[in-house]
Amino acid sequence: KRARRPKPCSLRELELTVSELGLGYESDETLLFRYCSGKCLDHRRNYDITLERMRRSGFSKKGRRDKVSNGPCCRPVAYEEDMSFLDNNSRYHTIQEVSAQACGCV
Amino acid sequence: PYLRPVKFFLMSFLNPMNSNSSSPLPPSPDEGVHATGAAQFAVSSSGWREPLDCVRASELCNQNGQCSSRFRIMRQCLSGGDKERSTMLASKECQGALEVLQDSPLYDCRCKRGMKKELQCLQNYWSIHMGLSEGEEFYEMSPYEPIHFSEEFRHASIISDSSLARVGPCADAAQPCNPCLDAAKACNLNDTCKRQRSAYIAICTKATPPQLALANQEPCSRKRCQKALRQFLERVSWEFSYPLLFCSCRDQACAERRRQTIVPACSHQERHKPTCTELRRTCRSDALCRSRLADYHMNCQVTPHTVTGCPQDNYHGCLMAYVGLIGSDVTPNYSDNSPTNITISLWCTCRGTGNHERDCDAFHRDFTHNSCLRNAIRAFGYGSEAPLTVTDPCPRSYPPSPAANPRQAWPFSPWQRAPTNRQRLHVLHLC
Repeated sequence: KRARRPKPCSLRELELTVSELGLGYESDETLLFRYCSGKCLDHRRNYDITLERMRRSGFSKKGRRDKVSNGPCCRPVAYEEDMSFLDNNSRYHTIQEVSAQACGCV
Repeated sequence: PYLRPVKFFLMSFLNPMNSNSSSPLPPSPDEGVHATGAAQFAVSSSGWREPLDCVRASELCNQNGQCSSRFRIMRQCLSGGDKERSTMLASKECQGALEVLQDSPLYDCRCKRGMKKELQCLQNYWSIHMGLSEGEEFYEMSPYEPIHFSEEFRHASIISDSSLARVGPCADAAQPCNPCLDAAKACNLNDTCKRQRSAYIAICTKATPPQLALANQEPCSRKRCQKALRQFLERVSWEFSYPLLFCSCRDQACAERRRQTIVPACSHQERHKPTCTELRRTCRSDALCRSRLADYHMNCQVTPHTVTGCPQDNYHGCLMAYVGLIGSDVTPNYSDNSPTNITISLWCTCRGTGNHERDCDAFHRDFTHNSCLRNAIRAFGYGSEAPLTVTDPCPRSYPPSPAANPRQAWPFSPWQRAPTNRQRLHVLHLC
């Protein structure tokens, strides 16, 4: 069997009610939640290669115990603008930066 | 054929503006204003003769020396305030200019809803029609093109074809059902609708800075809110906006959501509740509001002898005209959160209007007691099986008899070609 190639970093979407967002708002209104997911294998720079090497053995040899992240990761590089909804008590709310608009390996 | 040159000839004496005209002779019919009259109607792709739009009509008028000078005079006649204007209009110059312009392409022109330069088009329209009907008519002609049968058909087929309408929303009593919530979901899942809805909600719920709010200001910027609402309704397809506005409801929570759609606390209500007469006057001083109001009166006028109570049984026409008022000075809304007993009203009162009370009531009743509008809203939300509200054959407090005003009869004449408006004529004469 051939190994499946992992999906690259990209925008995915999910239909959620506002209550399900977990931000403390009570509203049955449904919205589209967009998030970033996928691998960032093709986005390794010299920085990442060196850092991985240091993480394995180099840091201890140099007398450092720093924790560093494991290569580039898939994160939103832009968020959707204002998102407004009516809650279950008939009050309007506007929330920002809830949903991703574009993803990148950073 | 003889009358026209004579009229032009007299005009050149009466009007000082024309004394330095290069040609001392009255213009021949070929170069006269009405030469352009042949181009007053352009044949549309559907074969329907569309009236020329008023932006184009003023361009044609400006190409003609006679017409453009009279148009300029006419605009001066209308430039003053209410009081001066009627004095100005009665003057020989203004009456003369008006007479000439009645033969120009500007007389028959119309505007399209949401067209480019819509405001300019409407201003051109009223620069003639205001002089013809200043302050006297209760109902005015709509400067908008009649709503075409093709559009109507498209809409009707959507009402009857959608699975929602066929079974009726909330057909399954066991399932939770909130069509207004479904409409919000549909909007949120569409990028344009979500963006535009969020935009007007954010503006309409934004509080004014406390120091301004203390100075007896409104709690929000009403003007900006109304503009954002108009933008939402212009840019978002009616397939998303109408379900938000006209969803059907079984319970109060749903009906409250429907009432909240336009953020009434900012767009509809005001700290001060004006009289409906005042509100109407404010609206009529603004070209856009005045036009939308005239369009509403034309398309939602209760008609006693159609099944639905609407002119031409055209629900779509009435809903479109109603939506056109949202974001204007006369922004209508549901008056409460009753799920089935739909009442639409304006934010105004007729209490204490004294001898204007009859007119005031008549104006407001076109919203509060309008069986055409109510049936159209029900038919949209509840599908074609919605019960019809029985038409009141002659509304009790009907506005001043149109026959009392000799001018009233003729502005309708250019419309007699279109069947839509013939219907309205009957209404006016019957009641």
